[in-house]
Amino acid sequence: MSFRKSLYQLDFLLIAASLLLLLAGLLAAYSLSLGETASTLYLKQLSRVGIACLLCLILIYINFEILTHYSSVFYIILLLLLLGVLFFGTEIHGSRSWLAFGSLRLQPSEPGKIIFILFLASLLGRFKKEYLPFSKLLQCTVLGLLPVILILLQGDLGTAVMYLPILGGMLWMSGIQPKVLIIILLCLLLVAPVGWLVLKDYQKLRIKTVFNPNLDPQGIGYQTRQSLIAMGSGGFFGKGIGKGLHAQLGYVPESHTDFVFTLLVEETGFIGAFFILILYLIILWRMLEISRNARNRGGLLITTGVICFFLSHLVINIGMATGLLPAIGIPLPLLSYGGSSLLASSAALGLVLNINLRRFANT
Amino acid sequence: MEFNQDNRILFARLRFLQIVILLVLAAFTLRVWQITVARYSYYTELAERNQLRNITVLAPRGFITDREGRILADNVNSFSLVLYRDKTDCIECTLDKLSRGLGFDKNELLSVLEKNRIVPSFNPVTLVEKLTLPQVSWVLARYRECPELDITEAPKRHYRHSSLASHIIGYVGRISPEELASPSYQDAKPSHTVGKSGVEKVYNSQLMGQDGVRTVLVDSIGRIREELKFQQPLKGSDITLSIDIDLQELAEQELGDRAGALVALDPENGEILALASMPGFDPNSFSSGISQKQWGALINDPGKPLLNRATGSVFAPGSIFKVILAVAGLETGLINEKTSVFCGGSITLYGRPFRCTSSHGEVRLKEALQHSCNIYFYLLGQKMGIDRIAEFSTRFGLGVPAGLDLPNEVSGLVPTSEWKRRVLGEPWYAGETISVSIGQGRINATPLQIARAIGIIATGKVPPVHVLKPPYPAGGEAPIPEVSFSTEHLEAVREGMWSAVNDWGTGWRAKVDGFDVCGKTGTAQLISQEVREKLSDEAKEKFTHNAWFAGFAPLEKPEIVVAVIVQSGGGGGASAAPVAGRIFDAYYRKTRGIEPVPAAESADESGAGNGEL
Repeated sequence: MSFRKSLYQLDFLLIAASLLLLLAGLLAAYSLSLGETASTLYLKQLSRVGIACLLCLILIYINFEILTHYSSVFYIILLLLLLGVLFFGTEIHGSRSWLAFGSLRLQPSEPGKIIFILFLASLLGRFKKEYLPFSKLLQCTVLGLLPVILILLQGDLGTAVMYLPILGGMLWMSGIQPKVLIIILLCLLLVAPVGWLVLKDYQKLRIKTVFNPNLDPQGIGYQTRQSLIAMGSGGFFGKGIGKGLHAQLGYVPESHTDFVFTLLVEETGFIGAFFILILYLIILWRMLEISRNARNRGGLLITTGVICFFLSHLVINIGMATGLLPAIGIPLPLLSYGGSSLLASSAALGLVLNINLRRFANT
Repeated sequence: MEFNQDNRILFARLRFLQIVILLVLAAFTLRVWQITVARYSYYTELAERNQLRNITVLAPRGFITDREGRILADNVNSFSLVLYRDKTDCIECTLDKLSRGLGFDKNELLSVLEKNRIVPSFNPVTLVEKLTLPQVSWVLARYRECPELDITEAPKRHYRHSSLASHIIGYVGRISPEELASPSYQDAKPSHTVGKSGVEKVYNSQLMGQDGVRTVLVDSIGRIREELKFQQPLKGSDITLSIDIDLQELAEQELGDRAGALVALDPENGEILALASMPGFDPNSFSSGISQKQWGALINDPGKPLLNRATGSVFAPGSIFKVILAVAGLETGLINEKTSVFCGGSITLYGRPFRCTSSHGEVRLKEALQHSCNIYFYLLGQKMGIDRIAEFSTRFGLGVPAGLDLPNEVSGLVPTSEWKRRVLGEPWYAGETISVSIGQGRINATPLQIARAIGIIATGKVPPVHVLKPPYPAGGEAPIPEVSFSTEHLEAVREGMWSAVNDWGTGWRAKVDGFDVCGKTGTAQLISQEVREKLSDEAKEKFTHNAWFAGFAPLEKPEIVVAVIVQSGGGGGASAAPVAGRIFDAYYRKTRGIEPVPAAESADESGAGNGEL
């Protein structure tokens, strides 16, 4: 089967759902241009969507097994980039996690998630047993935590934390013996209080406000509270595109990036939120299916990694917007405005489609 | 697939992931339902409270004009500094910035905030009024740094003639918590400015308008994005006073830096034409929120500039009282026009000498009034007794407030034997009656009461006195009460008063050519004769006499009554009569359309410019 012919084997439902989410993200950016700010952000985003689709196609084209094979090289490049950021990076919003090439800015830690997934898959894919041997588990954990520590050093707690569900999910999928799992969980429980001490005051306050949103309505709790007010005032049908006063007037911060869900719910109401959640359900559902049908364990693990990537971002982001989780600034895959995050999620999508395309053993 | 041997366990793990995904998405759907549908109205209300701000637009107060429509009080726009307390975590820091940057007293700002504690925190509080333009730009330049600060434009009271008629007009100030609690300020808000004294206070409800409301859409940093609704404020009603600025100005100028008071009124209808009390104050200093320092200076000023001496101070009427006693004597039949008394300059009654100003020889009522003979009235008072004197004094309006439409009027005192027993627990001594007969001793009255009593002699009518020009309150139609004194008796007293001015009597300095001024002088001792004689010359100087003049003009159909007191002014004829004379003169010239006398001539210190021919 030629490559072109095999394209018909692609999961079009997954593609359609993803394109609709990209459109919803563009719509959110566009709605801001209708308001007082008359921003032209959506045009910028449109060009990024173009680049992202190109990257997606490239990642579909190159066999994922080749990508997995060279993943240790990518991994080393990633570590070097993260180190580079640490020394030559540009600081935005208090974290030094950006590399600037002229006017182009890239946050290596975002697309780094893809390399991370590929690299872990290459390490774990060779094992066919029910459970991972302990030495392997330790090796993967140490190698997996290396980029996380580098990102933490950049001061970007949010992004660093988001590597952990991917690592955990892929290790768990490869098999962790129940007793090891219990030991790990116990260790985490013991480390938790230490972690609490390591957290900065504002981070602690964010966690506290989840349990008591009125703790500080003008400060940390402000974002969450305003997000709830914006969504709540949207009602069932929403206020209409461009009419989401609350987000438009700046009450909800970062309404096109981290709080894009809030903006869309205010303007399109429960209906819009339901639609978006359904789109994510379709995407995750199709990915599970692709994972199940993957040609080999490597493919399965890559897809599982992407599922963990999407799911964890979804949980943290929407959990934050709906006041269920502490405010951590992380983007929604495919929906949020922003180049690096879009590149990461479209690359992940490309990888999954790549595995989808090569699900039969001898293509 | 190559991993067939263990794909069952892998599929089981995938199924677990599937369940997690389903649960997460189901939970989010429920959560969004809860927020957007179940709590829709709650959040909508919060959103509106966030985005909509009702800004009160203070209504301008009504103007105050004189009887000819000349504006005494209007409004000017001024900039105020307001604080949105809900937009800052640290009000203290903001106040610190203000005191450092603009030099405001932090404690005063704090006390302003304290007064506004009951105002909901999303409503702005006015911290400082009447900002200068540099102060306005200082605040506007710190727009990002201090989003909690803002500038509003509001009408502020402005008194065009500064201190002129300050005691009539009064002043305005921020409403006090006590006033807020009282039912007469039902609709008032803590941000309101209300009248604190004068007609500003008495007619506050008319003068206050109805506030407007601007409903605006504000963004998260409080910038106004759009005006949704503007309910225009309604200016308060204008009020017209019966005051004539020209007379008022002249009265204040004539009193000059001497403490004293002057009341000019129309005896036919009770309209106050001028009411001066010196020293005065500038009510403009109150409209911008007076500082504690300024307030302290006014309160502690020994000259008591805030006191309205015309209605709020009592003075012994001195010889002015003789006209009242004269009417009483005629009415009771104790004297008639022909009754004569020999004045030898002094008389001994109850073993004590009582003096006269000079030896007048044989005097009848007319001469007694003309030359202000004490002996005549000592004997009349002695015959009449204190209680009958009191009865007539009361009929002339002494001892009770005149009922002027200005606050803080005092009643003065008309002593009776019963009063002395009750209040002092002592019997009335006959000797005291002798003092009262010439307006000394325990009797006292306000200049307004004296003017009113003179008005009764002039017309036989007792119109209610007021500074507000009719038709408000509709007094014109109501019949003006008259006193039951015989016209003949009143005429006899008027004749004596005419002589006092026009026939080289004590009041000759009040004479105006062509305008038959009738009047009576008074020189009231501040302390009794016995005490005075024990004092040194220096102290005598200090406790000198209050100078009175009260009169009306013209003799036929009186149009104006003037009562003047110059505190520590010495003799009434020398100090007070010329002041009254110039008021009569100005009134005469104004109403008859005669050019005023050139300044040099009218400023003649002898005051005889018009009187000496």
